Amino acid sequence: MEHLKLTVNGKIYELLVDAHEMLSKVIRERIGLTGTKIGCEQGSCGACTVLVNGEPVLSCITPALRFNGANITTIEGIAKNGELHKLQEKFVEKGAIQCGFCTPGMLLTSLDFLKKIPNPNELQIREALSGNVCRCTGYQKIVDAVSEYADEQNGKTVQKSKPSNKLGIVGVSRPYTEATKKVQGIADYADDYKTKDALHVKFVRSTYSHARIINIDTTKASELQGVRYIALGKELPITFGVLPISQDETAMAIDKAIYAGQIVASVAADTEEIAAQACKLIKVEYQPLKEFLTIDESLNDVGDAEKIHSHTKFNNNIHKKAELRFGDQQQGLKDAEVVTKMDFEMIGINHGFTEPHAATAYWDENGLTMISSTQVTHYLHRALAKTMEVPLSRVRVIKPYLGGGFGGKSDPFAHEMIIAHIARKTGKPVRVRLTREEVFLNNHGRHPSKMTVQLGASKDGMLQVLDADVAIDGGAFGSFGVVTTYYNGVLLQAPYKLNNFGFRTYRVYTNKPQCGAMRGHGAVNSRFAVESMIDDISRKINMDPVEMRMKNFLDSNTLTVGHYRITSNGSREALQAVAEQSDWKNKHRKMPLGKGIGVACGFFISGSALPIIWNELPQSVVHLKLDFDGRVLITSGANDIGQGSDTMLAIIVAETLGISMDKTFVIAADTLITPVDFGSYSSRVTFMAGNAAKNAAENLKIEIATAVSNKKEISIEELNFSDSRIFSNDKKVDLSWYEAVDILVANRGAVNTSGKYISPKLGGDFKGSGAGLSPSYSFGSCVAEVDVNTETGYVKILNVWGAHDCGKALNPMAVEGQLQGSWHMGIGQAISEEMLYYNGLLLNNNFLDYKIPTSLDTPPIYTNIIETIDPEGPYGAKECGEGALHPIIPAIANAIYDAVGIRITKLPIKAEDVLRLIKENQTKTEKI
Amino acid sequence: MIAEKVYLKPHTIEEALEFAKKYKNSFRFIAGGTDVIVNKFQGNDITDCLIDLTEIDEMKSITIDDNLLKIGALVRLDDLQKNKIIAEKFPALIQAANAVASPMLRKTATIGGNVLCENRCKFYNQTEWWREAAGHCLKCNGNICIATGGKNKCFAKFVSDTATVLISMNALLEIADNAGIKIVPLKDIYTGDGIKPRNLLTESLLKNIILPLDKEYKVVFNKLRPRETVDFTSLTTAVSVSKNQEVKIVIGGVDSRPLIFEAKSSSNFTDILENAVKSSKPVDNDYYSRDYRKEMVLVFLRKSLEELNIIQ
Repeated sequence: MEHLKLTVNGKIYELLVDAHEMLSKVIRERIGLTGTKIGCEQGSCGACTVLVNGEPVLSCITPALRFNGANITTIEGIAKNGELHKLQEKFVEKGAIQCGFCTPGMLLTSLDFLKKIPNPNELQIREALSGNVCRCTGYQKIVDAVSEYADEQNGKTVQKSKPSNKLGIVGVSRPYTEATKKVQGIADYADDYKTKDALHVKFVRSTYSHARIINIDTTKASELQGVRYIALGKELPITFGVLPISQDETAMAIDKAIYAGQIVASVAADTEEIAAQACKLIKVEYQPLKEFLTIDESLNDVGDAEKIHSHTKFNNNIHKKAELRFGDQQQGLKDAEVVTKMDFEMIGINHGFTEPHAATAYWDENGLTMISSTQVTHYLHRALAKTMEVPLSRVRVIKPYLGGGFGGKSDPFAHEMIIAHIARKTGKPVRVRLTREEVFLNNHGRHPSKMTVQLGASKDGMLQVLDADVAIDGGAFGSFGVVTTYYNGVLLQAPYKLNNFGFRTYRVYTNKPQCGAMRGHGAVNSRFAVESMIDDISRKINMDPVEMRMKNFLDSNTLTVGHYRITSNGSREALQAVAEQSDWKNKHRKMPLGKGIGVACGFFISGSALPIIWNELPQSVVHLKLDFDGRVLITSGANDIGQGSDTMLAIIVAETLGISMDKTFVIAADTLITPVDFGSYSSRVTFMAGNAAKNAAENLKIEIATAVSNKKEISIEELNFSDSRIFSNDKKVDLSWYEAVDILVANRGAVNTSGKYISPKLGGDFKGSGAGLSPSYSFGSCVAEVDVNTETGYVKILNVWGAHDCGKALNPMAVEGQLQGSWHMGIGQAISEEMLYYNGLLLNNNFLDYKIPTSLDTPPIYTNIIETIDPEGPYGAKECGEGALHPIIPAIANAIYDAVGIRITKLPIKAEDVLRLIKENQTKTEKI
Repeated sequence: MIAEKVYLKPHTIEEALEFAKKYKNSFRFIAGGTDVIVNKFQGNDITDCLIDLTEIDEMKSITIDDNLLKIGALVRLDDLQKNKIIAEKFPALIQAANAVASPMLRKTATIGGNVLCENRCKFYNQTEWWREAAGHCLKCNGNICIATGGKNKCFAKFVSDTATVLISMNALLEIADNAGIKIVPLKDIYTGDGIKPRNLLTESLLKNIILPLDKEYKVVFNKLRPRETVDFTSLTTAVSVSKNQEVKIVIGGVDSRPLIFEAKSSSNFTDILENAVKSSKPVDNDYYSRDYRKEMVLVFLRKSLEELNIIQ
């Protein structure tokens, strides 16, 4: 150990550290300032940025001893005397924060850069922040915040958005309630919890894609000083999975490993380093089996070879087949005057959330407590009870602040089962934190898919028939895959009216990390295919693709061919908005070679109407407690994963009760304290938890009104709740909120109310009719403008205009953030992101080689919120966090067609493919 | 047991060389360390002793000495643009430096570190677990090159953007070791072997990078990469023309060493370009395919020569 002296945020620390210990570890683990985040451990994401003697340094790749004696400022040292720095204030004000995990790095990087360039333009800001990855915001609001801060510092008048004249709470832009915590780095994420005397776990992972485990020799590892427990697969034989029909995963491989990266042994030790060292000493003997790495291999009969899972029906690796047909596709083909048929291939992608999975588990007199970065406390609760073989009443799951999820934290995970098990075996708390490589190996990302799609239209532009034949690569386990299998097909039945529609989807198991749900779940790839083909047909019939889409949109208050109940529908308004804003008419087919503009549309569910686990629980329950102090405690099982759902709950309750936001307090996603909510997936939280919150608040309102009515001898109907007052129109009764609360709690004490949301019964009477059913649907459009370099094939996205019908924007700033983040993620899948394998081994398992667009690669994004006031959404709201992603990829591909006349059928759109297609095309024709 | 680790911070070159001698079995010099530390995390560097050079002030200055510009190896990439002489005489070096990694990394990474940046390959720059699973390649003591499907040569690619530009401007290196100081042309340090791509001794130190001030180079720099920042190169080209109309073409990212072609501005470039493309033998160890990178060699070089008004 070496002596290290640091002054951190003005305080002197004298420490003993390992000679090669990184500065980030010293700051986080030894000093305990966890605002410095660890996202990639290779200097690619910027989350670990600190200032050393005033200069920004990536602390996760900096040996601490280099800066012996230095003066260090971490994010916790930026606010002074209880006052935020103006830039922190600006981040809060502009909504530049979602999950908040990149925020400390973004702020410190910006502060340094602004010292050198105090008056930057937008490009300079994007350049300066291009070493800091944000996966939530699409960078737009961060760039805006930095820009506006600089302007204010330079004395420029900043055009403030006008203070809203609207009364009430709903519809007013506001920062997340926890935003000030996040800008100071004091919001605790899963890896920031320091439980006393905890053991650290590291894993031995299979080096084979498919292999029988012959022997595991742990002798040497168990002799290492500091090793406390070594767990093997056979200790945890009970299977789990998010879907009851796909309980096909065990915490560790037992007899055989089915993907390279699967956990085969786990070591708990006093430190992470010792656990890692012990893992190296464990020798595993494998007997390789035939591997199945591609969709085609897994569709085929395996012959004498061993299947990946013995439970699959036939002698192949097909996990699930789904097929539904509506109308008369043969007749549709006859009616269609133009039919186009294309093959598409999309590679798998990963969520790329900035916070790696982390968790802590311990057992005490209350059973198991699990603090984990999860999107679904409820399903994790169930999975832990099942695998630990304890009653549900002996498990508590707590979600701390979460550094992004996007679907990637919505399954129960092996590492959670393992630390729960080891914590029980050792009687000690156990911690785990995955490396970025392990996050990628964990995956659950978007399925690679191959599809053949046939689309027919009559010459007047009306769509007559759609057929999709899809195969998706599920990887080693089921995850959400059965749902994904359906979604790839069923979610093509809107936003256009289609009378003749059918699909067939296969999901196969392969010996690779499993795929699952990712933003826009299941329908992103097939949406890309269909929107590209609509563009193709519009060219063939020489009709403007905007016009063609307008003609085909479903109306409001209608049924789709597969019995989806469409209520509010802002498709037309969304498309209109982006067409006008982008100057579509003057650009499409009118720009010089290399420049192009493209459009596409999409739709998505606003929460799945059916629960994953069939039971009669409501989809969501929210509890309120009101005591003498006048503050309404809102408890909900819904998981705020950075999308702002805690704030959403407070907005709805405050609006309903006519009180200000500071009279609310949200506790969410702690299964002991909060009522069940199914979690943050399928874009359900605003709609379902929001409705439950509204219902709970209405019930509380009745309680208050009844108490006031009894006391003041006035009928309930005469009472108004507004502006934190309860009053009658004639002001005979005119009480402050606190006076009303006094009346309520007199002789009674705290009042609790409960609210719930149960989806209406929906859908047709056929097998598979439940897939994609939702009480409401969102709709959206994008226009993208590109510049294609015809010499290199490089595609530069110049602008994105997007519009999304979210019903009602409860918090417009949060909605914009969700939309911009969705479009950014779509841009990544469109142009650069891919999971590449070498013999089943993931090649690009880090943030350097997995290409998330940086701030420089992300164009300016123009955001339009379309409001249709959904009849069943809380205050008219519906989803905005996933559906917006759907149109952006095909909009980019269609823009490339407009630019250089080539049709993209493969994702991501790599420069080399573009160039090849341009060359192939040149032999055929000039720009069309 | 976990081996004893050592971290040393010499204040002079002599002290650094002394330390190197003492720990000669298992040490590495680090400057910014932005690559070395990641290599350590991945188990590609298992040295026990790190000799941190960042407190050696004599390696941090930029000086003029008899028509030569000497850039200290420890000058950070981000600081190059602040030097007026470099900005005026060698703007392409700044362009190259600013094309390296991200703005954040450039505040730590040094010019010396980038010039001597370890060769890279997607089958090598992986964790220990990954490389074991893949079957170790030549560069990590295995038997074959994975990128080429079994060749007995390592093709890990040369990726230094700054070295590519520096070679095009005939840069020299001032190297210090226990035998004293020597000056070698940068272009001469490459072996062509991806495993040990440079002929410098581990215990020698790059002190200065030297550029001639009187050649009045015009240089066009280009870099191919999927994103506009962060990424290592898939292809880097630098084409220079001096006041004497000497043309130098340097190609990085397509071989284990930089490829260098010399000509006069009056030369017939058809053959030279053909030769350059033919000599570029990238292998599939990169984000882009080898065919595309090869194709881009010609596109980049043509564009550069056009920009220099050497070809039309």
